[in-house]
Parts: sequence; C-alpha cells; structure tokens
Amino acid sequence: MKMKKTDIGIVVFMYLVCAYFYSQTVNFRADSQTYPKFTIILLFGLTTLYLLQMLVAAKKHGVESGVAEVFKDFQPKQFLFCLIGAILYVVLMHFFGFYISTVIFMAAVLLYLRVPILHSAIAIVAIIALVYFAFGKFLGVKLPIGTVIKMLR
Amino acid sequence: MLETLGLMGAGFINALTPINLLMMAAGVALGIIIGCMPGLSAAMGVALMLPLTFTMKAETGLIVLGAIYCGAIFGGSISAILIHTPGTPASAATAIEGYQMTLQGKAGKALFTACYSSFWGGLLSCISLYFFAPLLAQLTLKFRSAEYFWLSIFGLTIIAGVAGKSIVKGLISGALGLLLSTIGLDPVTGAKRVMFGQAYFAEGINTTCALIGLFSMSQVFILAEKKITQRAQATKFTDKMSLTRDERKLIRPTILRSWVIGNIIGLLPGAGAAIACFLGYNTSKSFSKHKEMFGKGSIEGVAGSEAANNAVTGGSLIPTLTLGIPGESVTAVLMGGLVIQGLAPGPELFGKYAAMTYTFFAGFVLVQFFMLGIGLLGCRGFAQISRLSDAILIPCVTVLCCVGSYAIHKNILDIVVMMTFGVLGYFMRKLDLNTAAVVLALILGPIGEKGLRNALKSSGGDPAILFSTVVSWVLIALCIVGILSPIFMGKLEKKAEKEAVSGTAEDIEKLTEEDSV
Repeated sequence: MKMKKTDIGIVVFMYLVCAYFYSQTVNFRADSQTYPKFTIILLFGLTTLYLLQMLVAAKKHGVESGVAEVFKDFQPKQFLFCLIGAILYVVLMHFFGFYISTVIFMAAVLLYLRVPILHSAIAIVAIIALVYFAFGKFLGVKLPIGTVIKMLR
Repeated sequence: MLETLGLMGAGFINALTPINLLMMAAGVALGIIIGCMPGLSAAMGVALMLPLTFTMKAETGLIVLGAIYCGAIFGGSISAILIHTPGTPASAATAIEGYQMTLQGKAGKALFTACYSSFWGGLLSCISLYFFAPLLAQLTLKFRSAEYFWLSIFGLTIIAGVAGKSIVKGLISGALGLLLSTIGLDPVTGAKRVMFGQAYFAEGINTTCALIGLFSMSQVFILAEKKITQRAQATKFTDKMSLTRDERKLIRPTILRSWVIGNIIGLLPGAGAAIACFLGYNTSKSFSKHKEMFGKGSIEGVAGSEAANNAVTGGSLIPTLTLGIPGESVTAVLMGGLVIQGLAPGPELFGKYAAMTYTFFAGFVLVQFFMLGIGLLGCRGFAQISRLSDAILIPCVTVLCCVGSYAIHKNILDIVVMMTFGVLGYFMRKLDLNTAAVVLALILGPIGEKGLRNALKSSGGDPAILFSTVVSWVLIALCIVGILSPIFMGKLEKKAEKEAVSGTAEDIEKLTEEDSV
C-alpha cells in the first residue's frame, strides 16, 4: 500500500498534541506527572511507529496524495455552510435563546439544501415540539433563554 | 441458585412497570427508525439518546438504550429488504436474499422472516447473558490495582482494532483518548492539571458530550459533505407478512445455528454484528438443503443473517457489563450510559446492584417481544421513514445533539465541547482513525490511572508490581491477543463477505459501498 500524504496530517497533529500536553505536564506536581507522561510517551511512540510504517510504505510502494480518496464526492460549499451554520447556531443560542436560534438555523439550512417549504415547516415544528415535550416538560430542562432576550425582559 | 432465580423473577416484576414498558416500546420504535435510515448508525442513536436517560432510574435508562440498540440492529433489515440499502452494516447480508424476495413480490415474507429471526436471535442471546455474565463478573473479584490497570489497557487494545484498516491508527486513537482523559483535576491528589484556564474542565471532559460529538455530530458532517440525493422508492408490498408452518420449521435450525454464531461473535473482541450477519448467512447456506435458492431469495439466508446479528446484542453485553470491555462501538456507548448513571461494570453489578442489573436483563428479554410486535406492525411505516432525506436529517440531528449536550449540566460550554468533538470525530473518521477508541479511553483512562498509581504507591514506585501476579500476565497476554485479533477478524470478515456474495461484481461493489456508509 502506498503512503498517503493525508496521513502526514495525523502525525503532525499527534506530535503537536504531545508537545502541548508535555509543556503543561512539566508544570504539574511531581506525583501528578506520572500518568500524563505515560500517555504522552505512549502516543508519541505509536505516532513514531506509524511514521516509520509510512516511510517504509513510501520507499517500497511510493507516495500518493490520498486527498481524492478521503474527500471523494466532497461538496465544499455545502459542507462549510453546514459547519459554519452549526457554529453560528451555538453563538446565536447564547444571545437569542434556543427556540429563536433553532428556527433561524433550521430554516436557513433547509432552505439552502432545497427542501420544499412545507417539508421544512413540518420538520421545524416537529423538532421544536419534540424538544419542548421531551426535554422541556419530561426532563425539566430549562433551555437557554439568551442574553439578549434576558435583557429585553 | 435460588437467590439468582429470585433475582431473575424480581427483575421481571420490576421490568413490567408501566414506565418501563412504555420506554421499551419507545426505545424499540426509535431504534428501528434510526436503523432503517441509511447513514444513521445504532451507536449514533444510542449516543444521541443518552441525555434523555439521565433523569430516569438506572435500570429504565439502560432498558431504553438496550431497546434502541436491538431496534436499530433489526431496523437495518427493512431498508435492506425493500430498497437494497442496508440501514446498518449489520444487515448487509440480509440485502442479498431479502431484496431478491422483494423483486419476486415476497417482501412481506422477507420482512416477517427478518423480524421473526431477529426476535429469536435476540431472545436466545439473553440466555447466555443471564448465565455467563454473573460467572465472568466473579472473576474480577480477584483483581487488584495492577490488574485494573492492565484491564483498562486490554479494553483499549480490543476497541482500537475495531472497524479500522490500520491497527496502529486504532492504537493511536486510544492513546489520544487516554491523554485527553488526563484533562481536569488529578483524581488521586486533586491537583490541577491541563484545564485550558477554565474551571469548567475541573471534572475533565464530559464523556456524554464527547460521545454525542464523536458519534452523532460527526455523522452530521459526514452527511453534509456528500451530495444530497433522493433515496430509492421503498417497494410497496401487498403479500401477507407471515410464514407457513413448513417455512418456520425450515428456518428453525438456521436460527439456532445463527444464535450460537452471533453469541460467540458478540463475546469476541473486535467482532460485531456486521461480521456475524455474514457468518450466519454463510452457515445457513452451507447447511441448507436448498442451496439452489441462495442468491434467488432464500428465507434461510435472511433468517441466518438476521438471527446472527441480533444474537450479537446479548453476547456483546457480557464483557461490557462484567469486565468493562465492550467489543464494538455501540456497547462502548452503552457502557458510557452505565458509567454516567454512576455505575461501574464488574461484580458490584451482580452484588450491590443486582436488582438493577436483573431488571435490565429482564427488560432486555421483553424488548425482544416489543421488537417483534412493533417490527411486524410498523414495517410499512418504517419503510417510508427510511426514505427521509439527508437534507432534513442534517439540521434535525444537529439540534438534537446541541440540546442533548446542553441538558447534562445546562451549560452552553457543553455544546462547545460536543461541537469540538464533532469536528475532531469528522476528521478522525475521514482519516480512518477510531472514534470508539477515544470514547473508551475517556471512560477507561481514569480507571487505568487509579490502578497504575495505586499499584506503584503500594510498591514504593517499583513497576515490577505490574507484572507480579498470574492474572496480570493473563491480561498482558490478552492485550497482545487484542492487538492481533483485528488481523484475524479482518480476514474472517473478508472471507465471509466473499463467500456470501456469490452474485456479480456489481453486487459486491454495491454492498461494500453501503457498508462504508
């Protein structure tokens, strides 16, 4: 099997995680360092082993990008819209509360994904009702009201 | 013996309360819906529903999760039979014969066979759960700190090899999870460790948020990256959903064989329902007196596959509840549910918490009856639900992930953690890293840490204590087996798949593609 360039990302990420945790661990109390150091060494060792496997594969079979395989049929605009939408949804929830932000988020995503308006409306009402009864009434969870709404009250 | 029988009886009485029965029905229905939708998995469904079980009694919460698990494994067969797209990989083999039966106008018969076999597979697997789980739990009484450390490592070596192409990548995932489990206050001394300057992280990473992010939110991103396409129309069927006496007699030995296969596969590390369905299917083909019917719509093939994948459920719960080492993703999530309820796998479940455990077992038995009833009555409706577009699922699941995470501590930071793990889970899945290993490491990490540090403390820092008992050496040997088992399991799965798909190259390609989904 050829070495995939995309796997370099894994190695770099894991080394960065190890470096960050090590930099933090050296500041702990001596007896609190044992286990974190053990896990850092474990992750570092396994990542190095994987790096060696990659190098052997590169030498034996060559190198390939791997991007085409990992991101086959990838729809960048759609993905980014959903990802950013989900992040903005959490931000909106903080300011405007659960119900308003949910309606805005769901309507925006459903509209973008070209779901017919009637289906979208049914989906929004169904989810709001489900959350209201299952979480609000059954579990008694007080859903976020939102800082802006709190101020307006 | 009498005491155990008494506990079993009391378990049934406790499980038969209206709330438990209601939750079983709801859990099974929800599980079937999740299972029959290609793109959603049993693990994702169980993770998403975890927060709903917080305020429930421990036994009721576990019954709900068990019901979703069983329902989802069966649910995958509905879309496999009607639209030739397995809802979960556990039903991949069912699609071969089931869809052929649908093409012949026998969809009702195929669905009945799937439901009936799933019921028997699941029900019979409860027998092993009742008898083997307490025995295995007794073993853990011999464990001390060093053994608990090795047990946590063994659990990780098992899960790290599941469902991945590279064992090292699986182990890296487990090691990353172990490292993340060190976030928060030191569990022994209470000293501050990595907390990113936030008091919120004092108790470490919230396992439920991590579970929802890694299994459910990451799935949303997986759905969002693909072009949204219309699902195939589910075949409307008019034939009667029943089997004749002769047909039932025909599939009886197949169900029994598949029960044994499914149970053993459930117990084995690194195996799961996806392997069991192919092995069950192949065995039914080998023993069949009507081999010519295979590939042309054999009810024995459907029965073999479905009884085996549902027999895995009871079997896989045995190592999960007794040793705390789930063999696959769904049971790893289920174990998360157990830990969240403040319970730990092991002998305590069969001693101090025996009443709760036997109520859960009884509930698991009753869930099979609900699966039969709801599965048979609701097949037509579930078939339509399986066509629900990804475009609708994406925002709906996102909202449920956020609400589920928030419900735990009513803290918006929980949603941020869930979303972070969602993104991490997405990239991990794209790069063939193992999300289940991270979750398990988050659960097992603190157990392993306490074991390691207490063992070293008792020996004055001498690491030789970790290798001082026979049990430790057995566990070390099992760790090595755990690391190597994926190689064997991978070969077994490939062999079973090749033998099962005796059709065209196109068929193989389609099933492989569906499996990856």
